[in-house]
Amino acid sequence: MKRNVAIIGGGQTYHAARRHDVDQGEMVNEAVRAALKDARMTMDDIDAVFLGNMEFFEGTHLTDCWLAGSAGAYGKPGMKITTGGTVGATIIGAGMHHVAAGLFDKVLCIGFEKQEEGDTGAILSGVAHPLYGRSMAGAAVGYFAMMGTSYMAAWGAKEEHAAMVAVKARQNARKNQYAHLKLDITIEDALNSRMLAYPVRMLDMCPASNGACVVILGDEKTARDRCKKPVWIRAMDTAHNEQFEIDWRNVTLTKPIFSTACAARMYKRLGVDDPKKYFDVFEIYEPATWAEMVWYEDLGLCSRGEGFKLMEEGATAIDGPIPVNPSGGVLSTNCIGASAMLRVWEAALQIRGDAGGHQVPKEVNRALATAYGGTNWTVMTALSSSTED
Amino acid sequence: MNQKNTVTEQICVPMTVDVPYRFAAGKYMARFLTELRDNGRFVGVKCPSCNRVQMPPRVVCAACHVKNDEWVELSSEGTMVGFTIMYLPLTDPTTGKPHEPPFVYGSVRLDGSDSTVEHMVNVEPDLDKIWVGMRMKVVLRDREERIGDLSDIIHFEPLPGQKRPQ
Ligand SMILES: [Zn+2]
Repeated sequence: MKRNVAIIGGGQTYHAARRHDVDQGEMVNEAVRAALKDARMTMDDIDAVFLGNMEFFEGTHLTDCWLAGSAGAYGKPGMKITTGGTVGATIIGAGMHHVAAGLFDKVLCIGFEKQEEGDTGAILSGVAHPLYGRSMAGAAVGYFAMMGTSYMAAWGAKEEHAAMVAVKARQNARKNQYAHLKLDITIEDALNSRMLAYPVRMLDMCPASNGACVVILGDEKTARDRCKKPVWIRAMDTAHNEQFEIDWRNVTLTKPIFSTACAARMYKRLGVDDPKKYFDVFEIYEPATWAEMVWYEDLGLCSRGEGFKLMEEGATAIDGPIPVNPSGGVLSTNCIGASAMLRVWEAALQIRGDAGGHQVPKEVNRALATAYGGTNWTVMTALSSSTED
Repeated sequence: MNQKNTVTEQICVPMTVDVPYRFAAGKYMARFLTELRDNGRFVGVKCPSCNRVQMPPRVVCAACHVKNDEWVELSSEGTMVGFTIMYLPLTDPTTGKPHEPPFVYGSVRLDGSDSTVEHMVNVEPDLDKIWVGMRMKVVLRDREERIGDLSDIIHFEPLPGQKRPQ
């Protein structure tokens, strides 16, 4: 990187299925104000604003224009970004590149979604190719169901393992004041929840949330002058999948795909031999339980086919040796346009020691956040308390 | 303003946006769809560099960044690589009508292809009757009913005489 870039502040709204009390701009404004307060800044300090959400989810195309006022973007440089489920991280990536390049010193990154205002399933069907596969599209649930059946057939995992992920997420969410689904559930509850698409049950899926997240980035001088606990972005990378091909991560596939290719590049750049030792905490993008166990494998936290065993051992619990999603993750809160940014922000809070009730009970110096979306691509962000690694 | 007179009612306004589109299939997809419609067969393209057979056919092999121009015929039989029993009345975005639940659909790799294709499976929604690895064949509409899109496929049908692996 040409210049070091730090997260120097951030904030989020509380997340809920209903926010009839606010419109999109008012909701975004809540997170903007929280982030400015956290960074002890005003909008006058900000050089540029980057904003994004899911394309057309709220029925307006030019959200950057519509929300210019409440986003604080009026009269400032910036741009709107829409990259599907990854968007929250892509926005940070765009902001990071601008600061690293020396174009701006302080940028404000906004990810939001007011899912209740549109029809998520209908608009998501537009992700599929119009002439090939769209008749089967319309919901993420079928996609994760096929991931589940192929995962069980390949490795011998059981529905109980998915249930363990469901319980871990919602029990962690109970410690997070901002989370949407704070559920005191057991494995039996998860296994008895309504079947949506075998083997995916209600409690195996993320909720449809409303909410916004804002992260403020600064160059090294700004960060050292103005921020008590800067969290440094040490590497960001992104990789796409191939259109039409094994869209739901066929687990028996041996060729590198978006997630494994991206992780390999990141680890090489950072000199990571063993990611579970290098990083102290992980915030991953898991819209369904099965995706979490596949992530463990794709990130190299265990061998191929052993993700469910890692879950079974409790290794990824909030107080385990490899804590994954202490915030409750996407399974507990999915305001899609904000979800990937929340992964980065939650990872930063862990490094700052400011995660509150869901702070992991050990020293955290490095964290990895993943994003996931579109027709399969990822953005990964490596954070550190130091510029030395 | 007097706080007591402030309006606190929450107003939400319903609205439907109905947008028609018209998509060009393009050279590769058009050939794939006309082969399916006129001859009842599946064709793919083979990459000159990595030899991967890709379906649907496409102009570029994404992995090798080279033009695909060798066409190959694929089997109408293949292997199930993932499936689900769907209990939600999913709307078919191409017709606006719901698929009646419960129904089975899955992803099948046709013999001779490196890609998979997703479609309905003609079995009862019963885990004893569907599994990963099951052999399938494609059932098409009759020639005169085919229109040159994926709805020309009625469903996958299991090949007879298979037993669920234990
Ligand atoms: Zn190739």
